[in-house]
Amino acid sequence: MPGFEMVNSKVVKVRLGSPVIARRGAMLGYTGDVRFVPHGVPGGAGAGGLGGLAGGLARRMAGEHEATMEATGQGEVWYGFRGSHVTIVDIAPGQVMLVEADRLLCHDVTLQASTAFIGQGGMRAAVSGMMSGQGLFTTQLSGQGSAVLLSHGETFSLPIDQSRNVAVDPQAYVAALGQVKVEVSAKVGWREAVGKGSGEAIQLRCTGSGTVFVQASEEKL
Amino acid sequence: MTEPAPLNPYTLPTDDNVNPYAFCVDLSQQWFMRKGAMIAYYGQAKFEALAATSMAGFVATRFSSPLYAMDWVVAQGQGKVVIGDRGHDINSFDLEAGNLTIRANNLLSFATSLELKQSIVPGFLTLYGTGKFIASSNGPVIFAEPPMRVDPEALVGWADTPAPCHHFDAGWMQSFLGMAANSMLGINSGEERQMDFVGEGTILMQSSEIMSEDPAVVRMIESQLGGLGTGGLQRINHVTAQRLAASQQ
Amino acid sequence: MARFQLKSSRVLQAHLAGDTARAITGAMVAYEGDISFKSTGIGGSGGLGAAVKRRMTGESLQLMDMKGSGVVYLAKGAMEIQLVQLAGDKLSVESSSLLALDTDLRTDVAFAGLRGASSGQGLFTTTVSGNGTVALLSDGPMIALEVSPQYPLVVDPDAFIAHRGQVTQTFITDISWRNVIGEDSGEAFSLRFDGSGVVYIQPAER
Repeated sequence: MPGFEMVNSKVVKVRLGSPVIARRGAMLGYTGDVRFVPHGVPGGAGAGGLGGLAGGLARRMAGEHEATMEATGQGEVWYGFRGSHVTIVDIAPGQVMLVEADRLLCHDVTLQASTAFIGQGGMRAAVSGMMSGQGLFTTQLSGQGSAVLLSHGETFSLPIDQSRNVAVDPQAYVAALGQVKVEVSAKVGWREAVGKGSGEAIQLRCTGSGTVFVQASEEKL
Repeated sequence: MTEPAPLNPYTLPTDDNVNPYAFCVDLSQQWFMRKGAMIAYYGQAKFEALAATSMAGFVATRFSSPLYAMDWVVAQGQGKVVIGDRGHDINSFDLEAGNLTIRANNLLSFATSLELKQSIVPGFLTLYGTGKFIASSNGPVIFAEPPMRVDPEALVGWADTPAPCHHFDAGWMQSFLGMAANSMLGINSGEERQMDFVGEGTILMQSSEIMSEDPAVVRMIESQLGGLGTGGLQRINHVTAQRLAASQQ
Repeated sequence: MARFQLKSSRVLQAHLAGDTARAITGAMVAYEGDISFKSTGIGGSGGLGAAVKRRMTGESLQLMDMKGSGVVYLAKGAMEIQLVQLAGDKLSVESSSLLALDTDLRTDVAFAGLRGASSGQGLFTTTVSGNGTVALLSDGPMIALEVSPQYPLVVDPDAFIAHRGQVTQTFITDISWRNVIGEDSGEAFSLRFDGSGVVYIQPAER
């Protein structure tokens, strides 16, 4: 299994044996005999079993997924994206990672990717999400392997368990690992916290058990 | 983290990093500097545009790039100048009777003992001779060796190695050959086109730059439009409109 | 008093135990516990009323009070954060470089003098005074430079964060300076500091 190696805070390197799936544009350079082939849309036709209108939304929102490429062959590949910070996260069997589509740089082929809907609270939450421009559809990774996250500024992690009450600014949310439920909800006074200019009165409430990754910025990538 | 201890002209480093993102040069020698590089200075410093400097004759022998001349100044006088670039990592390198080609956007300052010329590869400058130059990069510069293929956006420069060629991914090339003759050359990412390096030497890379406007590239393209006829101009117009539409994402 | 602590160079933790801390709106990236957020004015007294001051500084300084029990994580634009302790003195700071401060500190607006006509910056700057901690934002790690009668200092205004001590700030607008700043961007003037004190700068232009 390939191992991702941090070259610096903005670049990872991987020695190919087993293929790597990466966001298009992430490849910075490579040595050896490596081929890059377009990979399927994560989640493809399925969207967690949502049918009808929600399924249509899922397909349209899946446009917010990033085109991915599969790197195969023998050699070394450097990955990075526009000076964003990178964080390597290992996913153990049985764990699930939810990550914003545009905040996933690359991952081992041994991880399966699909599209998941994180908005609970029905269509109204989804609609408010659409109006605020905040993506409600994320990529779900499961299996065993490593994934590399992208963020504006480095990420820090917050443990989630029953004793904690954790809320995250949707713009700063990068990913969640474990049995974490991420819900969209509204809160009075939140506008001040996330800045009126962002136009969002919603926050992400994280419950369950696991880890949430947050970036050191309120800006999108 | 405690507050940084205040520095002064005596404690500021001489021709060295203040921190990974700022550098301090001593004006005991003259420096070419990109406009906007100066963050602060002590002493009597004079920053003159290359065209307006009192040393125009000397400058003309050293700085041989009409395309970039308007982006640079000569710094001279006495004192210490702190330079930086968009919070990017700043590193200095010493060339010893050597040569190095670097992206214009990544070159921040260099000693007037070095000579500068335009590289064959658009957007890059070549430095010759002996002296110090200061480069900025998005994250620390990554050094690698040929043979290697690099995303053009991630390439910072190269030293002591032949200039690169373009390499087009074979799979992409195959589908391109199969496309209609007048479809746009839609190269969008490094997976399709790379800079191909062979031989010995060193390659410098960074996490790719956001392709913000390089005014010099714009100037260069504009200067070449004069050589086109109506057909060529219309073609450029069409391609520009398509690129603009694609970039509204 | 709420405790400020750096979680990393770009993330500030404000530990609240039933008390209050103040920060710029939009700075919160996450929090744990039971916290409420409320907009607050610039405060300060004497001379101009708070509403007038807010209008004069434009949208550049919007503060909020955070109250409750738990931890608030603050960050802005992946910028570095620097904690500065004030001990009865006064800090003059670019409002866009301010992240958070103890509620015991007094903020005010001061006239900063006439700037170049092309400047997008206001005529006013923010002052923070009293005893307590201020968290400043810096694009790249902050650098502190001494000012003394033996060595006055000249600074690119887009790199200027704050000054403290007995320094006087003047504007230099001579023609050769124009060449230093790129033609398309930057200010047409620079800041000169005389006297005795410290100037904080960032290794980047806004």
